[in-house]
Amino acid sequence: MPTLEVKSLTKRYGSTVAVDNVTFAIEPGEIFGYLGPNGSGKTTTIRCIMGLLRPTRGQVHVLGARVRPGRATEHARIGYLPGEFRLWKFPRGRRSLSLLAALGGRDRARKRRAELAERLDLDLNHRVGTLSKGNRQKVGVLFAFQHQPEVLVLDEPTSGLDPLLRQIVLDLIREAADAGAAVLLSSHDLSEVSAICGRAGILRQGKLVELAPIAQIVQQGRRRLRVWFADGTPVPAVIGEQFRDVQLVQRGPGLLDLAYHGSADPLLKWLAQFPVERIATPETSLEEAFMQYYQLDSAGAGVAPGPATSTGGL
Amino acid sequence: MTRPSRVPFPWTLLLFWLRRTVFVWIAIALAMFLMQIAICGIVHDNQSVKAFLQVLDYFPSVVKIALGGKTLQVGNTPGLLAIGYQHPFLLFLLMLFAIGVPTGMLAGEVQRGTMELILSRPVKKLHVYICAGLLTITGMFGLVMMMFLGTTAGTRIYEFIDPVPLDLFFRLAINGGLLASAVGAVALLAASFFRSRAIAVGVTAGFLLVNYFVSVLSQLWPRMYFLFRFTMFNYVSAPKLWRGWPLDDMGVLAAVMVIAALAGAIIWQRRDLPL
Repeated sequence: MPTLEVKSLTKRYGSTVAVDNVTFAIEPGEIFGYLGPNGSGKTTTIRCIMGLLRPTRGQVHVLGARVRPGRATEHARIGYLPGEFRLWKFPRGRRSLSLLAALGGRDRARKRRAELAERLDLDLNHRVGTLSKGNRQKVGVLFAFQHQPEVLVLDEPTSGLDPLLRQIVLDLIREAADAGAAVLLSSHDLSEVSAICGRAGILRQGKLVELAPIAQIVQQGRRRLRVWFADGTPVPAVIGEQFRDVQLVQRGPGLLDLAYHGSADPLLKWLAQFPVERIATPETSLEEAFMQYYQLDSAGAGVAPGPATSTGGL
Repeated sequence: MTRPSRVPFPWTLLLFWLRRTVFVWIAIALAMFLMQIAICGIVHDNQSVKAFLQVLDYFPSVVKIALGGKTLQVGNTPGLLAIGYQHPFLLFLLMLFAIGVPTGMLAGEVQRGTMELILSRPVKKLHVYICAGLLTITGMFGLVMMMFLGTTAGTRIYEFIDPVPLDLFFRLAINGGLLASAVGAVALLAASFFRSRAIAVGVTAGFLLVNYFVSVLSQLWPRMYFLFRFTMFNYVSAPKLWRGWPLDDMGVLAAVMVIAALAGAIIWQRRDLPL
């Protein structure tokens, strides 16, 4: 049975559809990446899962119990880190975390909290208001992990952390999953998602446009072909009519960087007429695969020769 | 499907909020307590009363009406002591708590972003509202009891020619407590509705100010007197309190309190958390 199950979830704000008929499930021990640009509906989905928002339609089940807004369904077993983690300014970090851990019962997280604080190199004796952004984020990580939850719902958990701490947090996520926790990880950092998630869902304008293992998402993406021409050879133009499934990524002196769908055969045959010095086939990243879902609307199929373009970040 | 786990009442949150508000409560309670003793100190001596009333004559009649109107005369000890229960400064202190506390707990936590953390723990949304309501209502009754204790202490410290009817002041305190709690419930309603604490405070303060000015205006302008019964201040009536427990007035204030608190609870429970 899945630990977390989202069934036909729809959330509307008046005429705006924030989340549209989203369905997915997360098994115990699985780390699920939830991807999408700002405003695609990630946070709304997460808040529906946490029972903070009332879905317009659909259901969410956590640990077998249906989430009913405002009723704290199984919340003692959920670790949550909101996208923008904010705490009371005046109490010390330890006191705020202890208070939150004690809500709905006794604070049984002291030992684990101390361990995590040491691992994250965080002094909990400071007032939260005096902490830097990165240290506040560490407090947020402690808040989510301190009670050893069976479900982790993490919205940008490594935001504001340096690379070393980022690695520690990713290790914590892996360890929680290894211990059987189901993890929903919403992140903008696709390298991070591809490093630790087994599967991912991609949201576009509230709709889940992809739900597959990371390897499959990457494989479905465009393949890359980088071609260096012999000295003095003019870089040929890629003819749109001829190659509908080819997109120009970059065009420089003696270099042509292409992305294509389907078979490479027609492209290679076309390239054979030019004095090619070297060919490389860079591995497609999750980021490139992800970008396609957002370029389909504007770019369409096939790209005619033009100024140098490149795939950017999110 | 698994049966959801039972969610206990969040005593920790209640205690946390209590700690956050207790210093404000003590400061207001002390100010009210001392104010009653000070008023006893002025009122027990007829010469001081005469001097006080002469000073009051220099002010516009609206001030005298706000302090008790025709009841302010030498020899009317209960009427003069009642100044301490309807003085604008005292009303300001009471309303500071009645409005500040519930809006700080609900809208304040929402605005700060901490409500999202509280509700991500095993805490029912309705329980959070009940915590805010409990602290507001008990806090208000605690304050009016401090007022009454101030009057009691004042009558022990100073000697009065006529005996002071403390039972009247007890009734006045309870009736005043209901009035303040009704305002507190309106503040809860506003706090459950608005994301911003400032808006919740503004709406409640506006409601209170309209009530207050209509009550003063209707007493100054006989043609407008019919408006007085539509204000909350109409339900704290000195003549009725003098005769005994004004159960009808208390019933109206209790009804306003219950209806506003229930409406706030329904809105708080039903609507999306304004994050």
